[in-house]
Order: sequence, then C-alpha cells, then structure tokens
Amino acid sequence: MVLFLAGLGFFVLGLVAATVLSIERRVVVASLGGSLGCLLIFISASQVLLSGRTTSFHSSLVLPLSGIDLTLDPLAALFVAMTSFVGVATLVYYVGYARGELRTRTALSLMLLFLTALLCVPVASSAVTLMFSWELMALSSMLLIVVEQRRHADARVAAQWYGAMTQLGAASILLGLLLLSLKGGQTFGDIRSHVSLMSPTLRSFAFVLTLIGFASKAGAVPFHVWLPKAHPEAPSPVSALMSSAMVAMGVYGIVRVGSDLLGGGTLWWWIVVVALGVVSALFGALHAVTSVDLKRLLAYSTIDILGLVLIGVGCSGALSATGHPGDARLTLIGALLLVVAHAAFKGCLFLGAGSVERATGSRSLEQLGGLIRRIPITTALFGVGAVSIVAVPAFSGFTSEWLLLQGLLHGFVDQSSPTLIVLLVGVIALALTGGLTAVAFVKAIGVGFLGQARSTGAASAHEVPRMMQLGMGILCVPCVVLGVAPGLVIPLVSRAAQVGSTSVKARSVETGVGLTLSHVRGAIEPMLLLAGFMVFVALISGAKSLLRRPARTVEAWRGGGDRPSARMQYTATSYAEPLQRVFADVLRPEIDVEVTHAVESHYYEQSLSYESRVDDAVERLAYQPVIRTLTRVGLAARRLQNGSVHRYLAFGFIALLIVLVVLA
Amino acid sequence: MTPAGSPLGYAIIASLLQVVLVALGGPLLMGLMAKVRARAEGRVGAPIRQPLRDLRKLMGKEGLRAHHSSVVLAVAPLVVLGSTTLAVAISPLVTTHPLLSASADLFVIVYLLLTGSVAMALAGLDTGTAFGGMGSSRAITIGALAEPALLVAVIALSIQARTSNLPAIVADTITHPVWSSTPTRLLALVALVIVVIAETGRLPVDNPNTHLELTMIHEAMTLEYAGSDLGLVTLGAAMRLGLLFALLMNLFVPWGVATGHTMLALPAAVMFLTLKASLLAVVVSLIEVHSAKLRLFRIPELLAGGFVLAVLAVITQLVAR
Amino acid sequence: MSASFYVGALELTTGAVLVCAVMTLWRRQVRTIVTMLRLQGVSLALVAGVLAWHEHDLGLAITAALVLGVKGALVPWLLRRVIRLDPRSRETAPLINVPASLVSAAFLIVVSYVVCSKLTALAPSAASRLVPIGVATVLVGYFMLVTRRRSVSQIVGLLLVDNGIALVTFLLTAGVPLIVELGSTLDVLLVVVVLQVLVVNAGARHGSFDLDEMRELHD
Repeated sequence: MVLFLAGLGFFVLGLVAATVLSIERRVVVASLGGSLGCLLIFISASQVLLSGRTTSFHSSLVLPLSGIDLTLDPLAALFVAMTSFVGVATLVYYVGYARGELRTRTALSLMLLFLTALLCVPVASSAVTLMFSWELMALSSMLLIVVEQRRHADARVAAQWYGAMTQLGAASILLGLLLLSLKGGQTFGDIRSHVSLMSPTLRSFAFVLTLIGFASKAGAVPFHVWLPKAHPEAPSPVSALMSSAMVAMGVYGIVRVGSDLLGGGTLWWWIVVVALGVVSALFGALHAVTSVDLKRLLAYSTIDILGLVLIGVGCSGALSATGHPGDARLTLIGALLLVVAHAAFKGCLFLGAGSVERATGSRSLEQLGGLIRRIPITTALFGVGAVSIVAVPAFSGFTSEWLLLQGLLHGFVDQSSPTLIVLLVGVIALALTGGLTAVAFVKAIGVGFLGQARSTGAASAHEVPRMMQLGMGILCVPCVVLGVAPGLVIPLVSRAAQVGSTSVKARSVETGVGLTLSHVRGAIEPMLLLAGFMVFVALISGAKSLLRRPARTVEAWRGGGDRPSARMQYTATSYAEPLQRVFADVLRPEIDVEVTHAVESHYYEQSLSYESRVDDAVERLAYQPVIRTLTRVGLAARRLQNGSVHRYLAFGFIALLIVLVVLA
Repeated sequence: MTPAGSPLGYAIIASLLQVVLVALGGPLLMGLMAKVRARAEGRVGAPIRQPLRDLRKLMGKEGLRAHHSSVVLAVAPLVVLGSTTLAVAISPLVTTHPLLSASADLFVIVYLLLTGSVAMALAGLDTGTAFGGMGSSRAITIGALAEPALLVAVIALSIQARTSNLPAIVADTITHPVWSSTPTRLLALVALVIVVIAETGRLPVDNPNTHLELTMIHEAMTLEYAGSDLGLVTLGAAMRLGLLFALLMNLFVPWGVATGHTMLALPAAVMFLTLKASLLAVVVSLIEVHSAKLRLFRIPELLAGGFVLAVLAVITQLVAR
Repeated sequence: MSASFYVGALELTTGAVLVCAVMTLWRRQVRTIVTMLRLQGVSLALVAGVLAWHEHDLGLAITAALVLGVKGALVPWLLRRVIRLDPRSRETAPLINVPASLVSAAFLIVVSYVVCSKLTALAPSAASRLVPIGVATVLVGYFMLVTRRRSVSQIVGLLLVDNGIALVTFLLTAGVPLIVELGSTLDVLLVVVVLQVLVVNAGARHGSFDLDEMRELHD
C-alpha cells in the first residue's frame, strides 16, 4: 500500500510540474512523473497478486465526513496492474503525440487526474470512495474529449452524449450502493457483513441498479450509445485509456458487487448479464464489420469483446449460483484474462489509429491505403494488435478465448438444465462473433494499410515520432507474452478470480509455460506450437529458395483496362457489403443510389453515386424518441420562464397555496 | 490415455509421415475428385496425378510480384502453408499420438485454419486490384458465416467426449464405437460436411475450375500469384482439403487409426486413411456433379442450415444424456 | 433387444423426425419438402416400431404400420398430386428469409428444451427424455404454418405439427390406445383431402395458390 500511495504521490508531483513548468519541458516531466507513479503502483499491485495478501488504508483527511478507504486485494490488484501498465504506454505515447491543446496545463492535468481516478476505482473499498473516484474518472475523461474541440467539431456532441449517459449510470450505481449501505456502514467490509440481513428483493434491486451503471460503462447494448461517439472523438491516448482501462471498470464493478459484496446472488441475475453480453457481442461485431472510420471500428469491437467478457462473467456467476465453483472459477479466469488481453491489444490498436491519423490526417479507411510501405513500423505494431484480437493462436486473444471456451465446455459437462441454455447461448454468441471480428480486422488492415493509397494524405504519410512507436510497442509485449507463455500470468489471474468463492475445488489451471487444465483433459502449449510453426515456415522458405530464380516485379493485371488506379480497389464499404446484405435485417442500412442519365439517351448513365450508411439502430429506435420528447418538454417549459418577475412571484404564490391546501 | 507419455521418436516419425501423406495426398485427392467428376460427366478427364504435375511445373517457374504489393503478398503463402502443415502434423490422422498431441485442441486446429484464411484474404487485398479485393471479400464472408456452424459442431463433439482435445476424442470414439452412430455425431457430421465444402471452396459454394469474373471466389483472391508462390498457395489449399477430409473421417469413423506406439501399425493406418479419405472425396465429387453453384447470397442459407444442425447436435447431446 | 441398442435406435429415429422438420424450412423446392415429409413419416413409424418392439405391444405395432402407410406414403402422394396440378407452386415463398427461419428454428429448439426440462424430470425414462424433440417438431411446424405463403407449404406445416404431437404421445405414453392414434391419423388424412379439393378448385378457378391473394378475393 505504501508503494501505491507513493505512486499517487508521483502523480501529484507530475501535476505540479504540469502547472509550473514552461511549455517545452511540461509534457516530458509530467508524463515522466506519471509513468514513475504507474510503475510504483504496478509493482505494488504485482506484490499483492504474487503473495495474495490484501492491504488496506484509511484516511479521513481527504473526504472529511466519511474518509477514504482503499483496499488492494487480488481482484483490485489485477485491474490496477493492468491500468498502470496501459498508463505507462499511453503516457509515453502522449509525449510524442501532444500538440497544440494537448500541451496545455489543463490537458496534462486532466490526463493525470484521469489516470489517478482509473487507478483509484478498483482499490476504493467504500461506497463513498468508489463514487468519488468514479465521478472523477467520468468528469476528467469527459473534459478530455472536448480538449481538442476546435479541431473536431463532433467532439462536443460526443461529450454531451457521454456526459448524459455516464451521469445516469453513476446515479444508478449510487442508488444501488445506497440500498446496500442501508443496513449498516458504507465501507465494503460493513456491506459484506450486513448483506445477509437484506431481503432478497432488496438485494436484487441493488444488483440491477448497479448493473445498469456498470454495464453502461462496459458498453453493453442498449446502454452503449455513448461509446461509439466518445471513443473516436477523444484524443488517441485518451481513447486508448478509455477503451482498455475505463470500460474494464464496468466489468470490475459487476464482479465486485455481484460476486463479492452480494455473495453470488441468484441465477437470474447472471442470466441478465449473459443476455446483455450476447446482444453486445453480436451488435458490436456486426457494426465493427460495417464501420468505415478506423476508430469507430475499434470502438464497436470494444463493445464486441466486452460483450464476450460479460458472457464469461455471467456464465461464471450462473455456474457459481448453481453450485459449480470449479467451472465458475475457470470461466471467470478466462473472462478476466480476456479483459487483460483486451486492454493490451485494444490500447495498442487505438494508439495505432492515432498514429495513422497523425501520419495521414484522416482516420476514414476510404482515405487510407498503402500505408505498409510508408509507415512500416506503425503498421507492424498495429498488426500485432489486430492479430491478437482475431485470436490467431500464440497471441493473447486466442489463449484467453480458449480458456473461456474451456470453462463453458466443462460447465456443459457438469451442468443440468436451465444453466445449460445460458452456456449454450453464450457459446453460440462466441462462435458467431469470432468470424465477424476476423472480417472487421482483415478489412481494417487490408483496406487501410495494404493496396494503393486512396488520398494524397495517405500517399505522403511519414512515420510518427519514436515515442509514439515506443508507446505502441510497450503494449505489444503483453499481446505476445500472454499468447506465448500464458502460464506465467495465469497464477496471478486465478488469484484474482478467487473472489466470492469460499471453497475452491481444485479444477484450475496448472502452472507452467502453457495452459494445462487440472482434473480435465485440456491443454495448449502455445510456445511449442509457435516453435513448430516457425520450423515449418523455415523449412518451406528454405526449400523455396533452393528453387530457381527470385521473383520479378511487374505491373498487376489490369483486366484489359488502363493503368491500375487506386479507385479500382475494393473500398471498405464494398468489402463489407456482402455481410451487410446478409445481416440487413439487423443492421438496417440506409442506401441511396443516384443515377444521372445522359441527355442523349435514357440508357446511358452519366454518373452514378452510391451511398450506404449504417446508423446505430438502437440509438435511432430507442434513444432518439426519448430525446425528441425531452426537447419538446424543454421547449414547453421555456414558455414558463419569460423573465417577468411577476410571473415568478405568481409561481411562488401558487406553490404556497398548494402547500397550504395539502397540509390542511 | 495421456498422450504426453508417448515416446518422442515415434511421435516425430508419425508427424512427418502425416505431413508427407497429406502433402502428396491432398493434391491427389483433388485429382481424384476431378477424375470422378469427369467420368460422371462422360469425359475421360486428366490423370489423377495431374495436380502434382501442375505443382511441379509451378515450382520451377519464376515468381512474379505486382507493383504496389508489399511483404504481405510474399509472406502469406508461407503462413498458409506453415499453419496448415502444423495442423496436419499435430492432428490425429494416422495415429492418436503425433507430436504435440496434448496441444492438438479442436479450437487450435480451427483457429490455425482461420489464420491461413486471414493471411490469404490480406494477400488478396495487397496488390490493390479489383479482383483480389472481390475474392478476398467473398472468401472471408463465407469463412465468417461458416465459423459459427464449425465451432458449434466442434462443441457438440467436445461435450460428448468431455474434452476438446482432438486425439482424445478420436481415441475415445475407438473405445466407444456406439458414439459414432449417436444423433449428435450424425448431425455434427452433416454440419461439418457443409462447413468443409464451404471452407475448401467446392461446389455448390465455389467452383474450383472457374475463372469467370463474376463467380470466382478463391481463384479471384489468388489471381495475382504466379510461379512458385502460386505453387505454395495451391499446395496449401490442397493440404487443407486433405486435412479436413481426413479429420472428418477420423472423427466419425476412427477405425484404423493407430492408438499404440508401435511403428508396425503405421502402414496399415496410412492405408486405412487413404481409403477413407478417397471414399469421402468420391462422395463429395458425386455431390458436386449433381449440384449447380449457388448464388452468392444463397450461400448463407446453406451455412445457416449447417448452423442449425450443429445446434441440434448440441441439444440432442444434452437431451440424450 | 439390448438396452443400449434400444436407446440408440430411439434417439436416432426421433432425431430424424426433427431433422426432417428443419429440412422443410431449409429447402425451397416444394417437391423436396414433400420428400422430407415422407421421410419424417417413415421415421415416425420407425419410432413407433422401436417402441412397440421394446414394449412388446401389438397395438403399437399396428399403429406403426398405419403411420407408415398414411404418413409415409398416402399423404405425400396426395400432396405430390396437388403440386403436379399447379406448376407455379414449385418453390415456396417464405415471408421470412431462409437463414432467418433457420436461426429462428434453432431458437425454437432451445426454447422447447427449456420448456420440457421440468416435464422430463418428472418421469425420467429413455423415451420421455426425448420429448423436447417432439415439442420442437411441433414448434417448427407451427413456425412454418405462420411464415409460409403457399398453401401447399402450409399444409406441410400442419402435418409437421401433427407428426410432432404424435411423436410426443408415443414418447410419453408409449402405449397409446390404438383407436386414438387411428382417429388422429384419419383426421389428418381428412384435412389433407379437404385441403386438396379446396386448393385444386381454388387454383382452377383463380389460378393461384397464394393465401395473401386469396384474401384479396375476400376483400
């Protein structure tokens, strides 16, 4: 805990440096302070994960009425370690990325505050501390979205959506925590000891209220509408933090409240969680396939992966509620490993998208192309992230999804009826999204980085500063390590997954470099698989080089036409068109085709324009009507306020009369 | 039962045998299918070893790379062939104790094949021509739609065997012969046949013989390849076909697969496998003769059917327990 | 007959009934759909046969023969004739496209499993465990009835429902009184004949088998 507090101290130093130093030194010193702080906090969290010892801290200096309570237990430590790791990478990246508004005192202090809040949410161990850091996290990230609003006109709209949704979510969490604190104190220890006194209905109420808030933060459909707006519009280091660490806090909240504070609860809670996860996974994957904006694509794929995590968390809860702690734990390990893996690869991808935007001036796939020859290092690092998310064996996405699938599979073997359906639906959703994720990222890489440049910006792209590459590189390390030697990290994750379960049956993952499940047959050794692959590739390429001549470079076949131009390539829209057509019932795309005929004859077309747009159907059908109604009410209310003092006094008088009548 | 205890020498020899068998057998299966098809249509057809001859010719030719192409175009054939070869080496084709058999998880095989498909799809986009993009888009769409049916069928098999380890499933099926005639297995078999037809680009999903712009899928994706690179890609596709056919047969009719550690059992196992895979090839090519290529937007119907059958397989497994 | 063979045979034949139902949603040619219906009738007869053998029940055996005759031969033959009379009804015209119907079918199958899990827990036996499959057949048939436009496909949907109900009765009671099954089988036959007459007449008069168009007639 001392190290943790010392780390926070470095954040304060960074803040001070950000405010007093000159603009040239400010960015470097502040991010150095932040990185050192993150490093110390990472060490303290790792200590807790390695030893399994919980440490806590109480002080009444910060919040005078209730004081703050911080507890670093294994579950919190996992999220803290993850966040601080991503924090270092983004701060390093920030040094290279910061320009204009991002070098101001405001932006730097907000960035450090945001990180501090992110690190405090998981360690908060009382309702007040949690709400305090939660609000700090929401507020600082919201302000960070609008920092660059002069350049991004849409940022303000995005921030409005984000602000409204996050405040509604926070209100919901607050109500839930209030319900939990009714029977006694507001620290988590008190809540745990008093929760058995609560009636089941009250407990369910509390769970559902907190679930709404946490699920909204985790981007679960239908509470996701802020996410595809806010994540693309924020500056890239901020989007990376939001998409890798902040959404994970939603998952943390659900596990903490559901499994830990409320002690597991009943089956239907977790069925709701699985249902949220299934809908989000499918919805996110489909929209990621059809997105054209690179960062929007990444944002939707966040919804997709977090949906898979929710499926895992929900299935784990359901297995635990029906008395299968062993399978429950295995599934939860898979889900938590996926959270960690997601933090690494999604952080890397968002930073990569920022680099692409910096290099080309655009983030629309239709304006990119051919970047692999202009910015090879960024492309390679982005590629590592993409390969991880597509779940290529020996990368982090694969090992975590494999573990999740094993948990569900052995859940099947041991289970009886209603839970089986939950597991079945979860597995089907996992199967459906796997292929779609691959399409989305083949599209992102193939259209964005391969082929020919589609705009002058892409044609004249220059490699980004070293610090930005380093930031991405730091996040590529866990992508590979978690994939090749997951056994090194598993003991730590499984310690975090012990939450709430008192008796742990031995079904778990044995230690080693790869993954070997104990008590059931199931194992993978990614390192050996990778070695085997390398050997075969070496043999094949060796055999090939013994053959005659090296390849010659020629003009591509142009189908009998002119020189091949960039416009002949498949665009991002056309690449996704077959799937968009197959899933038209769900996506409801709007397609406009405009044909201008030649004057001479109706049979000749002069020009043809095709436009297809895929809007968020949930937003259009569920949110817009509400907003329209609210706007109408607001306009009506404006009539009440016309500035006349007499009218206001009259309101007061009428109110007084009503009060008197009611009292009498 | 623990495959980890198998002697290393045996495992290495068995794996090498499998690789050689599939590398030669895959092209021969393609030749056999073309031959059966030709005969059924009343033609003589090319000799069965024609694909091997084509490969030898391609390997000796000079490679050509398009302008604007990148390292992806050069590396993709290696990735395809490498991942397929790895999958062949660790799968239980002639023995249940090949190399790394502990890691030969069904999901590993599925995702190794997915890796190959992703590499090919990227290569299709790399040259920046219209046809490559078209083929890539279509191929990956079909792959994405086949994925759910494939994974759910795999899960149905895994629930029955209580493990997703492939050698263990095959070994358990040999010891429980009843398993191969349970509804779960039969439903999963039909689902997997549909998936295999889609994944290997056979009729009615894709016509391997067409080079017509509007209909080709896999051929469009590899249009920019020439010479030895094309040879590698073609060999990769043939090995994929061989692997999938052999696995399909071994999952449902596992008899003949060597379960012990004796070298003497291997020749018989090779013979059995050849026989089984050829049988499947003949059946599939007879299906091909009788079916026309589906329109691209009818293919989801076929794959959705496979998906439902796979779900049905899981449900019957749960019901029948 | 050995116990494991009995269980295996029962599972296979029951599974076949449901697969045939799913296939009718899958294929577009009405002729193929009728073939599937015939296969389903045969499978149903086999289910009854397996049960009869296991229970040594003569009544059930007669029922099996009857089911084979009526549902496996007579009804499909009548339907074939209807199709032959009208060349326009060669393909079905679904209201919901085929992939969506298939995914819905998967959903219905899952639903029937959930619904029946309590029921089967009451009397667990080799036969009653398979009841969810019968219920799923009923639901799939009903789904077909709702979402297909040609009247021939609707008849097929109705027959699927009937076959599903018959399957559930076989599995649950094992020894249905012969007369009950006889009655229901004849009922179905009657329905088919009536529909055939109606359809053929309507077709002859208006040249159409589309129910939506028939409603226009009513308006």
